[in-house]
Formats: sequence, structure tokens, C-alpha cells
Amino acid sequence: MNKVDPQKLLSEHLLKQSELNTRRVFLQKFGLSLGTLAMGTLLPGCHLKSDESNKLQRSFSSFPDFNPLKPQSPHFVAQAKSVIYLHMAGAPSQFEMFDYKPVLNQLHGQECPPSLLNGKKFAFIRGVPKMLGSQAKFAQYGESGAWLSEHLPHFRQVVDEVSFIRGIHTDQFNHAPAQLMMHTGSSQLGRPSLGSWVTYGLGSENENLPGFVVLTSGGVYPDAGKQVWGSGFLPSVYQGVHCRSKGDPVLYLGSPEGTTRNIRRMAIDAINDVNRLTYEEFNDPETVARISQYEMAFRMQISVPEVMDISKEPQYIHDMYGTQPGNESFANNVLLARKLVEKGVRFVQLYDWGWDTHGVGKDTALEIGHINKCRDTDKPIAALLLDLKQRGLLDETLVIWGGEFGRTPMQENRNGVEQLYTGRDHHPDAFTMWMAGGGIKSGGAYGETDEIGYNVVGDKTSIHDIHATILNQLGFDHEAFTYQFQGRPFRLTDVAGKLIHDILV
Amino acid sequence: MAIKSKNYVIRVLWIIGILVIVLLASSIYRNTFRDIDYNTQVKPILNKHCISCHGGVKQNAGFSLISRSNALEVTESGLPAIIPGDIKNSEFIRRLTTDDLDERMPQGSDPLSEKEIIILKNWVKQGVKWGVHWAYNPLKKQDNEKPRSLLTVLSSESNMTPRSIDYFIQDKLVELGLKQNSKAERSELLRRASFDIVGLPPSLELIKKYVESEEIDFEEVVDILLNSNSFGENWASMWLDIARYADSKGFERDQNRSIWRYRDYVISSFNTDKPYNQFIIEQMAGDLLNNPTDEELVATGFHRNTSTNDEGGTDNEEYRIKAVMDRVSTTWEGLLGTTMACVQCHGHPYDPFPHKEFYQSMAFLNNTRDADTNPDYPVLYFLDTLSQQKLDDLTEWIQLVDTKQKSQEIEKFVRTVQPVIYSIEADQYVNSALYDTKYLGLRKDGVARIPNVPLTQIEVLLMRAYTTQYGGKLFVHIDYPQGEVIAETNLKKSTEGYEIIEIPIKEVSGNHDIFLEYQNPSLDLEDSPGIMMDWYYLSQNFPGKTDIKHRFYKREYYDLLESKHDHTLIMTENPDSRKRRTHVFDRGNWQIHKEEVFPKVPEVLPQINSTSDPDRLAFAKWIVDEGNPLTSRTFVNRVWEQIFGQGIALTVEDLGSQGVPPTHLELLDWMAYTWMYEDEWSIKDLIKKILLSETYQQSSITSTESQAKDPSNQYLSRSPRIRLSAEQVRDQALMVSGLLSNKMYGRPVMPPQPENVWQTPYNTESWIRSEGEDQYRRAIYTMIKRSALYPSMETFDLSARQVCVSRRIRTNTPLQALVTLNDPVFVEASEHLAQRMKNEGGGELKDQISFAYKLAMGKDIADDKGLVLQNLYKRSLTSFKSQNDDKYLNAEMDALTTVANAVLNLDEFLNK
Repeated sequence: MNKVDPQKLLSEHLLKQSELNTRRVFLQKFGLSLGTLAMGTLLPGCHLKSDESNKLQRSFSSFPDFNPLKPQSPHFVAQAKSVIYLHMAGAPSQFEMFDYKPVLNQLHGQECPPSLLNGKKFAFIRGVPKMLGSQAKFAQYGESGAWLSEHLPHFRQVVDEVSFIRGIHTDQFNHAPAQLMMHTGSSQLGRPSLGSWVTYGLGSENENLPGFVVLTSGGVYPDAGKQVWGSGFLPSVYQGVHCRSKGDPVLYLGSPEGTTRNIRRMAIDAINDVNRLTYEEFNDPETVARISQYEMAFRMQISVPEVMDISKEPQYIHDMYGTQPGNESFANNVLLARKLVEKGVRFVQLYDWGWDTHGVGKDTALEIGHINKCRDTDKPIAALLLDLKQRGLLDETLVIWGGEFGRTPMQENRNGVEQLYTGRDHHPDAFTMWMAGGGIKSGGAYGETDEIGYNVVGDKTSIHDIHATILNQLGFDHEAFTYQFQGRPFRLTDVAGKLIHDILV
Repeated sequence: MAIKSKNYVIRVLWIIGILVIVLLASSIYRNTFRDIDYNTQVKPILNKHCISCHGGVKQNAGFSLISRSNALEVTESGLPAIIPGDIKNSEFIRRLTTDDLDERMPQGSDPLSEKEIIILKNWVKQGVKWGVHWAYNPLKKQDNEKPRSLLTVLSSESNMTPRSIDYFIQDKLVELGLKQNSKAERSELLRRASFDIVGLPPSLELIKKYVESEEIDFEEVVDILLNSNSFGENWASMWLDIARYADSKGFERDQNRSIWRYRDYVISSFNTDKPYNQFIIEQMAGDLLNNPTDEELVATGFHRNTSTNDEGGTDNEEYRIKAVMDRVSTTWEGLLGTTMACVQCHGHPYDPFPHKEFYQSMAFLNNTRDADTNPDYPVLYFLDTLSQQKLDDLTEWIQLVDTKQKSQEIEKFVRTVQPVIYSIEADQYVNSALYDTKYLGLRKDGVARIPNVPLTQIEVLLMRAYTTQYGGKLFVHIDYPQGEVIAETNLKKSTEGYEIIEIPIKEVSGNHDIFLEYQNPSLDLEDSPGIMMDWYYLSQNFPGKTDIKHRFYKREYYDLLESKHDHTLIMTENPDSRKRRTHVFDRGNWQIHKEEVFPKVPEVLPQINSTSDPDRLAFAKWIVDEGNPLTSRTFVNRVWEQIFGQGIALTVEDLGSQGVPPTHLELLDWMAYTWMYEDEWSIKDLIKKILLSETYQQSSITSTESQAKDPSNQYLSRSPRIRLSAEQVRDQALMVSGLLSNKMYGRPVMPPQPENVWQTPYNTESWIRSEGEDQYRRAIYTMIKRSALYPSMETFDLSARQVCVSRRIRTNTPLQALVTLNDPVFVEASEHLAQRMKNEGGGELKDQISFAYKLAMGKDIADDKGLVLQNLYKRSLTSFKSQNDDKYLNAEMDALTTVANAVLNLDEFLNK
């Protein structure tokens, strides 16, 4: 079970080929070739770069391909084919996970010096807070000797697979705008998400599945809502498709009661037959596109429930990930993420809500809620990296972990009052993320914070740098990857962003 | 006939011959002798090659091409780069032509083409003439005498009215060697016009009158549709996209917001054909009109549709400023077709708008009373009948015992609760805090400062607050925490949430900081606040002190203030003590102030004539002044885009130099001019004018030739075939199935939606399915929650309404197929349509199918299409029958429903 069955791969390949052929036959029947079908409605402005020699040039206004999700090649050879992005919504504390600060432990309980507070704005800390030492024991693991908290026992096995980025900063200290910043490169509403950019640039490898899938756990959406997987000013075809654990995995996927697969086939045949006659009348290429979209919808009705069903996974996989079919859980979503990238989905975005450890109640206490969140995510994350590796997929899958900002080395004192539990306020100036696979160095590290993890002292990394690096691994020059909107070319990285070379292979 | 066609051939040959000569001659002439035109020849070259390094943002080597004066300035080299008339000494030209690769511009790219260099050389030689971008040129009456192009004169067979839509469109088509399609079939035209005006398929009655008996002509159809109330329900969508209207607040918790009266205002304004200039003034500044009516106040909801953030720990001022900046961008993009958003960080990279001008526009809008408060103040309250009666009695009594002015002041206060000071204006705290950054709470011995409170002639402080404890006492000090006590009161424990607490105030004059101090010996220091405060109102004593009914009416007054009323968000202006100054923000960062600025419109446009600082109302009037070159062009272009699927200038959001230039500039200008002066800003007249053109009424058949010469149909050699909008897709299915409710207006409705679509954090609100006909209302009335849009409409590209959306991009995806095939709303519509087919369609299957198709498409079904659907019925019937299951007892009905659903999924049904 550890290896992918080559026979299976071959048969999959052959199946895909035959599907492609069917499509070609259909198109020839209408006297059209792939290159001459007009998308029509995806109007102007959709180009990646104005340079005409650029192979990425896609002008929807002239003679585009009718399928906006057709696989595309990026600017240069990509290290990663797909992305699994694990976002811990609420912002996990670096001090209880990855950023070991013995000096902070010594300062525990002392009043925060004014030099750290002058000119700073906090979401909840008022007046003079007290320093808060780490609420976890740390030790070094792996050949890289990375420091890890005791709350991440499984992560020890895979610590050498990842590269830590410890000196990240953002400019937002409230969840919604910071999540927008993290996923769209701007704290303003209305920009396309990272996954939308990637799908716009690369299309989808699998014709029967969406190119950009979103999975959520923790009971609610991230604070910034669906806009963090929205397509902003890009066509909505590039927005993330939220797959759900309960009800239809994709909204409206299931046929109405009584409509069997057979009847559905008849209906779609009839619809498409009438549409062909309509095409003969008006010659509108959009009609041809619609015919193919109905075919894809028909296929999706089978392919999506299939890929979203984890009950048929072998027991050892369930043991490894800690999955329980039927639940809405982070573990289930992580396993689904692996299945989806295996099937050619480009971008799988996970949101796990509940990391906002302010210490205002048990759920948000570092000594209770935070430990629970670590326990629920540690095992599946380790399993994901091991599983991708054993399938030979880690090399081509970029895995990203992180929150929207960091947390303060001070104990929160909301409203100027001492709290019952230990907890930390939002902190935009220094936090940790990690990346693995997809051309990321094994056992690497970049960036350093000061002795109390308050400020970055070396190799400061911005969110735009993270985005530039992600795009680079997917084969994009982030400065040339643009979309014309409101009279100017927009970039995910706006006017900034530099590659984090140190963590690249 | 034969002679005529021979003449025709000769004429065509002539035309071709002349064309060749003219083209050759003109290209030689243009490149060598003629005056270089800045806008069409120079500006495109500069924008393409130069301006990203020498524009409004980057000015490398101190050289910028953003305006003529900039371009001629001395650069870092100590010399100007361009010397008018002097090619030899113009460094600009030398750098473009030198062989030294280190010096040659554009750096690191290919050199400019020879043609481009010739143009630039001639431009310098001819004195560096600058031009005003087309959109900033004033609109002028066009000369009727101006001859058409030679080609049109020679080829035109009809005597077309000069200066009409068809005149301009056909003039261009002739140049391209294209002809318009012939007139569309009546049925096709009726369906198209019906969707373009009311957003619904035509009724059977209208089909009968126009298509079958031909008793009315097309103009009558247009009039009937324009007079229908459904017109406003359809056209409101485009405006609500611009206004980013939604029924929730936007960020994080995204709580519901009550501003649906603004949506109704928009619908009704379209229906009453409110002149566009009035429409804009009301929305931008209705509150500043003399004695504004409710309608004028509701209209100001336009700019209250900005997102607010109730997330705990947010800085209220930060989100107030974000909202104001969004209003600036929306005003410019939505009303003036100019993208200003980039100017908040730096000068416009391509257009003549310096950085400062964004903030000068902001200065018009920066003094409104909204402040990211949790209750979204200011609002206008709508009283129920009983409360309204109480208010009427109260104001009548005040007029008896005091003045009319006093009575109006009290009435205004009950309706708007303005002007108050919000508790979140507190800026210093001891044992107190802004709880969840929303309300001021004072704990034991808590003190908080409210700055700069006007106290002259103030007799009483009304405070909206609730107290959680017995035994509390509140003191109001002035100037410093232990300063003179000007008011104090013992507090009871609130019984029903927030109450009005009245505290008499000692006479003090001038503005002072006030310090609110809370004492309560029964509390410990760590305990929760004893009092939570919302707002403070400083006023004179309640009138009629000597009247016997004084006490009674005062209690009535406070009751009215304490009761819950319906409300909608409005704009009001700050009182003098709360006037804000506006500064330039360094690179858009609201925390770093640069120079102070005052209200002013950009220099490149006509200025406001005013001696004092113009206000928001003056700004609104300037926008719709006939001398403003942008407003009419912008809206006419938007209406064109709504009808033809793309604007005359494609980028409806940006008529600036980076936008796509108009395909028919003269047409746009002519329409924009006549719309203001002849149609007097009537939107219905504008729509009618377009619909009555031949251009609109041609068929949408695409010939190989027109596809090849005009692939995206910018030149309108055929009528565009456009997919229906999200709203129309839903409304159409409900209408043909007979489910659509024609109830208008009111609070948003919640038609069936799958479970668990709303998963917003810290928000207990839920989707409560509407009952009765409210499930079948037109899409415009569907609840719009920004963080979780109604999913079936989102799939059909409904905009999320977070920011101003100028145009929706239409997509074509498999998820859309899943909606119309499987969404329970469409399944129910299919069942109802099937029922109608059976009941109203006649006894034969063929007729039933034909009936459904006519309901859907407004015409009889073609035989071959009918056969396909009959076949579907027969095959699915066999299949349903073979499912020996109790559930499928009614196989005939199931098969008919399958057919009905197929009709709702046809390509022609989803298009207009």
C-alpha cells in the first residue's frame, strides 16, 4: 500500500486519454478546433503579461480556448504541481509550538518594559501587561535539531522535511483583515485569493474536479469569510469550491430524489441535443461551451462524491491520520487534501478555526484550548507529510502551514484586567510558518526573532515574500504574473515581494 | 433589378479603389506632414513604454511624463529632457535612439519601433503639444452638418437621420466592410426587450399582442415594459452593484444590517424615472438638502453601504477611515468612471491626478457622523403606528408650550438620535475600557475622558446606558479627572437593557473635556463594569416645565428613545465640535499624516464655484453639473453596457487613459450630451432611445464574416447574445413555472438555501426560510450576506458587494449546470411547470411541450427540438415505470417534470 500501483496509474492514464479523445471528436463534429472557440464572455483584460511573445498570453477577447480551466504552463519549469495550504485561523502561538525563547521564560511574570509598548497598538492589551513565558517544554529533534514544543509529538517524525520561516511580519492585527492579507495580498476586500491566482494561471489538471478546493473545520468559516477563497476581480470560475463534510460535498451536486443516473443521462443528452440545434441557429460559441459544461457536471456528480469519500481508505491510513469517516474534522480534511492533489487538484486550501488563544476562557487558554488544537492537528499533519512522501508526491506538492499573524510574548490583560487563564494577544510583528515539499529545502530555516520573540532581528519576511515564493515554486515570476483591472496590471504581490531563496532546494 | 445590381458592383469597386488610395495617402500624410495628435498617437506610446518609470509613481532620474509641465522640467541631470522644437538637444530623443545599450531607453527592453520614434520626434519638433484626454474634454453640442465618412455616403442605401445611434454604428461598420443583420424575429426581439427592461420573459399576453396578433408595435412594447414596476426591480441590480448594497456588515461577524429601505429607494427611483442628477444629489447629500424628506435621508444609505468591522480589538477610527476612503473610490469609479483607488497611495501612474487630490476629494466626505459604531449609527428610525401617534402627540404638545423649532428638534432627535457623542469617542481610561471596542464600560472607581464637549447653554445630559449593579453613582468632571463636578446622579439597576439616563448639568460655557467617574462601594476592582454606555446627548431641559403634562410627555419622550424601532442607515454631517481635519496619508497609511488638505475637485476638471469651503452637497451638485465631462459619459456608457453586454468604452469603471478607448467616441459624446440637455437625465428615455434603434433590433445570428471581422462584437454587426444575470436566471424559472410573487419591497427574504451555508464566527444569526409567497419573490429581495452569498446566485456571478462593482464578468461553468439541474428551487419550479403543462398545455404531449417552450421562449418550438423533448419524455417514462418503487407511482408526472427541467436548462433559455 505504500507505493502507487503502476498498473493503476497506467489505466488511469489511458482513461484520461480516451476522455480527451471524446472531447476532440465532439469538437470536430462542430467544425471547431480547440484554438478557435471563443470564450466570449470572459472579456478583455485577462492577460498575464502584455509581452506578446510570452507563452502565457491569454487574450480571452480574441480566440481563446473555451475552457478557462484548461491546464496551462507557467513561466518556467515548476517545482510544485499542487499546493496544500493549512491555515490555522485565529493565529496560533509561535511560543507554544516552534519559536523557542528561554529568555522569555526567565522574564515570566515581570512587567513589560515601556520600550516594548511605546507607539504600539494592541487589539486587547491595555496599560502595562506582564511577560508570559512559554507554556510548553521544548526539545530539539531531527538532524536539523529544530526546537519543537511538547505539544507536537508527531511532528518530530517529519521535522526534517520542513523549512521554518520564523521572521514573518504582517501589517494587520485583526483577524479578518489579516486573513485577507494572508490569502489575497491585501487587507482590503475585493482582491483574488492565492488559490484563485494559481488556478487562473495553471488551470486544472483534472477535468472532473474543480481546480481549487476549500475545506473547513472548526465549526465555522475563517473570520474573513468566503472572501479568502473568492476570485475578487478575476472571473468567478477561479474561485475556490467549498467542499463540505455534511450534505452534498459540493452544493447542488446530488440529483433530485428519483432522478436516477440513467434518467439524468437522458436529460443531459436531450438538453445538449437541443443546444446543438440552437448552435446551428446562432453559431454562438458559448453554446458549445455550455454543452461541454453539462458533460462535466454529469461527470462531477460521480467524481466528486468518490474523491470526497474517505470511508474506503485502508485502516492503516485511518490510524495514521486519526480520521473518522463521517465527521467534520481537520484530520478528515487533511486526508481529503492528499486524495485531491493525487487526483490533480491544483490548490487545496484548508481552514481550521479556533486558534485564537487569548486566554479569556478555557477554549482560548494556552493550557487547555491550545493544547487541544495541537492534539487535533499534530497527528494528521505528520501523517500528511509521511503519506505524500511514501506516494512520491511530496516532491511535487507544496505544503504550507501558518496563521494570519503571531501572538504577543505578554500575557493579555483584556480591558486592563488580569485574566484567569494564560493567553496572548494578536501580534503582527513576528511569527512562524513552515513549508515543505515542492522544492522546499528539507530541514531548513530562515529568519530569526529577538530573545523574546517580539521583533524580527534577521531575515525579515513579508507576506508578499511568502506569496512570491509560493508562486515561484509553481513556476511563476510573481512580478510578471498580472491581471489587467481598473486600468492597471494587478499582482498578487502588489508592488513588493522577494523570493526566500534560503529555503529553496 | 439587374441594372441596379450592376450599378452596385461598380459602386463597390469604386469604393475599394478609393479606399486603397485614401488609406495609403492618409498613412503617408499622417506620418510625415500632419500635426501629431497627442492623445491618439503620443500618449499610447508613452503609456506603453515610458510611464511605468517616468510617470505619476516612479519618476526615475527626476523625469516624469505625467503632464506637459512635468515633462519639460529640469531633471536630475540639471537639464530638461525635452526641449520643445529642438530634437537635437532633447535628451529624451537621444536616449531613445542611441546605440549605447546602457543608455538606451526603455532600459532592458527592446527599442521603440521606427514608426514610434518618428512620431515622438515630430511631436518634439512640433512643440510638444499636450492634449486633454478625451474623457476630460467638455461635452459639446455636435455639429449636425458634419459630413459622414466618404464610404458611408457612397454606400448607404437608406437616408439615415444624421446623429442617431444607427448613424454612428453603421458608419463604423461600413469602414469595416460589415453590414448589420436584418431585423430580429418579433419573438426574439420581444424576449430580448423584456429582459432588458423588466428582467423577465414576456407574459403570454404580451406575446399574443405583439408576436401573434401584431396589434401593437415595438415602441408600444417598450412603453408597456418601461411603465411596469418590474422595470425598477431589474435595473436596480446594476446600481446596487455600484453602491455595494448588502444586508450585512461585511467583516468577520458580518452581522445583519438593516438598510433594505435604500434598496427600495433605488427600485422606486428607477420606476418613477427620477432624473439622474436628482438621484445622485439625494444619494450623495440628501441629508444636506433643506428639510430633507425621509426619502432623501434613506437615499444617503448609498455611502453607508460600506463594510464595517465588529471584530473585537479593531480600531474604530481605522475602519471609519477605510469606509470614507471606499466612499471616495466608489464615488469616482461609480459616478465618474475614474479609478482613484490607486491615488490613495501615490499620484495616479497614468492620469493627471496627483496623490493629494484623493485626499481633497476625501475632505468632502470626511465629516460624516458614522464612526464604525456597533449599531451602525447614524440611522433613521421608522416608528410603528402607536409610536408615531405618541410622537405626533408629543410634538403637538411641545408646539403649544414651546416653539415649533423646539418641537422639530425633538422630533428629529427621536427619528435620528443625532447629534450625539458616541461612547467610543472616549480616549483615556482608568478602571474602564471600550469593551470589545464597542461600548464604554466603567468598573469600580472607573474614569474615562470624552474630549472636547460643547457645554455652552447645556442644561441636561441624556445618556443611553445600562447599569448592571445597584448602588452606583456617576460624576461628571470637567477639564481633569478630579476637576469640578458639573453633574452627578445615583444610578439604579437597569431592568430592560439600555435606558435613557437623565443628568442635570451645572451651567458652564465653552468646550471642555469631560471625565466620567463611576463609583460603587458594592463592587470589587476586578468585577465587571457596573455601567455600559452607548451615547451622550447634551441639550436644554425638556420644554414646558410649568405645564401640567410636562412629566407625562417627558416620560413619553424617553420611552420613544428607549423603544426598539425599525431603522435604516443614513448619513448626517458632524456638528462643529466634531469637525475633522483631513490630511494626506503617507502612502495611504492612515496613521501617518502629511499636509492638511481642504475640499477640492481635481485640477484637470472644471472647478466648483464657491467662495467658502464647499461641502458634500456642493460636491454632489458638481458631479451632476452639465459642465462635468465625466458623469453623463459614465452613466450612458453603463446603460449601453447593460443592454449590449459591453460599453462603448469597454472599461466602464475607467474612462481614463489606461481604460480601453471607446469604439465610437462621437456616439458616446452625442448620447452623453443629448441625455443631459434633451432627455433631461431621464433614464427611461435613454433606454428607450437605445431600444428603438435598428442596431438594437437586429437579429443575433452570427455569420462567419462578422465573427471573423468583429469577433467580440464591439462594432455590433449583430445583436449580442448574452447570458442572463444571476437574478434573471432565478426570476425566469419562477415566472415560467407560475411561482413568482409580484410582491414588492420590504425586508430581505430568505428563499430555500442548503443547510450550513452560513458559518460565520461569533454570529448566531441564521438563515430562516421565509414563508408563503416570500419564498418566491424576485431575486432582488433575497438577503445578501456578504460573507456567504445566496449560493445559487453566487454561482451565476452575483457580485459579493464588498466594494463598488462596475461590471460582472459572466462565466460559464459546470457548477451552474448543477444549480439549474438540482437546486431544490429549480426542481420545484420544474414540478410546477410540469403541472402547468398538464393543466394548461392541452391533452397531447406535443402540445404540452410546445406550451412549456412558449412560456419559456415566447415562441413555438421548432419541430426538431420538440421531437428531442418528446423523446426524452418517452424514454424517461419507461425508466420511471421500470423503477418498481412506491415512490415513483406517478411516472407520467415525473417524466413531465424531467422534460420541464430540461426546458429550464436550455442554452437559449439561459440567454437573452
